[in-house]
Amino acid sequence: MKQGNDKAKIRFGTGAIYHLMMLPGILFLLVFSYVPMVGVITAFQDYIPAKGMLGSKFVGLKHFIYMFKLPDIAQVFSNTLVIAIAKILLGTMMAIIFSILLNEIRIKFVKKSVQTIVYLPHFLSWVVLASVVVNMFSLDGSVNQILAFFGLKNINFLGSNTWFQPLIIGTDVWKEFGYSSIVYLAAITSIDPGLYEAAGMDGASWWRKVWHITLPGMLPIILLMGVMSLTNILSAGFDQIYNLYNPVVYESGDILDTYVYRIGLVGRQYSFGTAVGLFKSVIGIVLLLSANQLAKKYTDRKIF
Amino acid sequence: MTTKWSVKSKLLTRRLAVLSISALMISTLAACGASSNPPTAKEAGKYEITPGDPFSAYKDEITVTMGRVTTANPKLPAGDSYENNAYTRLVKKAFNAQIKDQFEANGEDYSRQVSLAIASGELPDMMRVDSKDELKELVDNDLIEDMTEIYKQYATDNIKNIYDSYEGRALDNATIDGRLMALPATSLDSAPTMVWVRQDWLDLLGIQLDADGDGAIKLEDVEKTAEEFLKRDPGQTGKPVGIPFVNTLNTTDYNGSAYTMLGVASTKGSFPQYWMKGKDGSIVYGSTTEETKQMLGVMADWFKRGIIDPQFGTRTFDDITALYTNGQCGIAFGPWHIPDWGLGNVKQKDKNAKFTAYTLEDADGKVNVAHANPANQFIVVRKGYEHPELAVKIVNLFYDKLANDKNVGTSMPEAAKYQENGVDGSTRPFNIEVNSATSLLDDYSDIVRGIKGEISLDQVRTTESKNNIKSIQTYLSNMDTDNVTAWSKYHSRINGVGLIDKLTRENKFVWMTPAFSGTTPSMKQTWANLTKMEQESFIKIVTGAEPLNYFDTFVSNWKKQGGDQVIQEIKDEVASKK
Repeated sequence: MKQGNDKAKIRFGTGAIYHLMMLPGILFLLVFSYVPMVGVITAFQDYIPAKGMLGSKFVGLKHFIYMFKLPDIAQVFSNTLVIAIAKILLGTMMAIIFSILLNEIRIKFVKKSVQTIVYLPHFLSWVVLASVVVNMFSLDGSVNQILAFFGLKNINFLGSNTWFQPLIIGTDVWKEFGYSSIVYLAAITSIDPGLYEAAGMDGASWWRKVWHITLPGMLPIILLMGVMSLTNILSAGFDQIYNLYNPVVYESGDILDTYVYRIGLVGRQYSFGTAVGLFKSVIGIVLLLSANQLAKKYTDRKIF
Repeated sequence: MTTKWSVKSKLLTRRLAVLSISALMISTLAACGASSNPPTAKEAGKYEITPGDPFSAYKDEITVTMGRVTTANPKLPAGDSYENNAYTRLVKKAFNAQIKDQFEANGEDYSRQVSLAIASGELPDMMRVDSKDELKELVDNDLIEDMTEIYKQYATDNIKNIYDSYEGRALDNATIDGRLMALPATSLDSAPTMVWVRQDWLDLLGIQLDADGDGAIKLEDVEKTAEEFLKRDPGQTGKPVGIPFVNTLNTTDYNGSAYTMLGVASTKGSFPQYWMKGKDGSIVYGSTTEETKQMLGVMADWFKRGIIDPQFGTRTFDDITALYTNGQCGIAFGPWHIPDWGLGNVKQKDKNAKFTAYTLEDADGKVNVAHANPANQFIVVRKGYEHPELAVKIVNLFYDKLANDKNVGTSMPEAAKYQENGVDGSTRPFNIEVNSATSLLDDYSDIVRGIKGEISLDQVRTTESKNNIKSIQTYLSNMDTDNVTAWSKYHSRINGVGLIDKLTRENKFVWMTPAFSGTTPSMKQTWANLTKMEQESFIKIVTGAEPLNYFDTFVSNWKKQGGDQVIQEIKDEVASKK
């Protein structure tokens, strides 16, 4: 009896430490994600800051109706989807390919340095990177100088509705693929080396091994990451676009978050901004739930 | 199973309840903070050494937090900042009031800060707001002090006279439901938008502009000059750029017309963004007129020919200023005072730089300009701030005493030094101008007569003019001087205001009086969208992404998506005032 108690205590003791480590995260979530949810009611009001959420007048769905009447909203939605989906797809693909290739490097020193170098951009803020991108891609920037060297026509990347989206997607993939490959590298190392040996005995080529062992081994992680990123499908990267866009490329670059920011916060239409934001969240949660169901249906694996 | 769930759900409900209650408490607390009783003018006296005096100091040191409008290059001496400089120290010395900056920002960033301050309910004690819209919102939400009594009691006679010189227009604009809710900036006619051209480049290339010497040139002259500058690259940078324009395109305030299309618009008799009276007496939005379409036609043509900066739309205001500083471009559209804060940088980099100001005339040789709308800059005081009269006192100190004191050199030596050295006016606690309706040309006449020696420095009306005379004399004695202030003051006053004076005397101006300024109820919802549509459509037309006829699509969309209703509301409001 006494012994058992001691055991329980020890188990509780170690467990408590781990639980304590979760506390900052939970607090963060509570303060920044749950408390602000109360503010959702302002989407159904003509919210006036001084009168507060209790004093402002309720107007029902007025702001949602106005949102759907705005001709811009379709454009903004499609921009958001195109940019976000392209970022997710290309970003995941790049990260997977990169982690498989990196895994092939046998010299530890080279592997480590390559890893460090591609992680770096992840830790730089878009505020900083944006000025680098602007410098490189402006009309007298280095990219255009290279184009001119090959006798090609100069392109105003930051002021062209054709080029702005590729630029946004490309620079984001470049910035993030290294960091997101960490998870995939971990997944690869957890694959039983015996499988490769056996395949080698059977005469499988490198391609075959990747196709039949590495990729299936990574599948659960790829799936997990895929489903998780679906929640972001309507967040195409506010800080990146905000720092790079301008009125010329509103047509191709304006996403929900920048739109809400400009109209809602800068234009002080708080309720309208909240309505658009709420709409975005609802779609996000529907997507997340359905992705989870799909994952279960087709692979029998579920995230939650 | 059921019991387990219900226990869980009870816990969840309880937690949610605690959560929402705490959130509600936060919002109610915020509401409480805003609604204390305003101190009356009489109550203010008990903190003062000489109660009720327009220049009285406080017995105990007080603190005032502010939102400050800054500029990129304020020319502050080393060690001084916006929060701690000769002017803020002057306020400390004169009133025993310490200024603390809650936020400092410039341009769009400042409007953003104000929006955020209003949204969060954390207003600084005093700040400038830049639109009637914001002022109305602050009043509707009961966030700012009523200044009516305080103004009456504390403003000096000089300040009252200045505001009265606008025959009510200045104070009326800050008056809502009969109460004065802010101290407005004044807005005198400062038209037209000028074209500032590098004179040293013209000389170098042997181009002669304005052969008839009337100060006004034609669009074609600008065109040809720009093409020459592009072709022959007088700045020798290897990468000359066409004329840059801001992507906000237009403005209804000539003081803010730097890098706008307003000059080109004037040649077609177009007044984008103004509310005007149509020929049949109806209300017309200036951006939707046939004249504006013609203006856009010119701009699109210029863009195609490279006369306009190919990166039009993507450059920020500071990027554009840098093009002039680097010597990549030598033609700038802007107000008379652009040498003081913008082109001065060019002189700093290139000692030989000189600019001449012209204005653009239409096909008939007339210069089309609009009368100034009432100023849309207001100093507001947070509701519940204990010393609202301090705002009036600061206005007294800067726009009466400092402006008019004949012995400013001995009474306020540090501030006087600032003015002599051309430290930017934005470093004053309130970045606004308060001067009489006729002061621009009055000051000009003082300066010209002062330089000629027709009047002595003691007879010059304002301290600023006195300093300007000294600066301009420095420049005249040595035109190659390194003194940027002397260079700037000569350019802005003699070239800039001098041109306004000349055009006024020669009766060249054709004035348009705006029919309306301000906002209407439905604008709150629709205006942001309409403005965005206008900006995007104009940019597309100029850059050639859409043909000129797209303008008609824009006009019909603009009307459908709320423009017609705004016009109706303006009609009603104008009618109700008659």
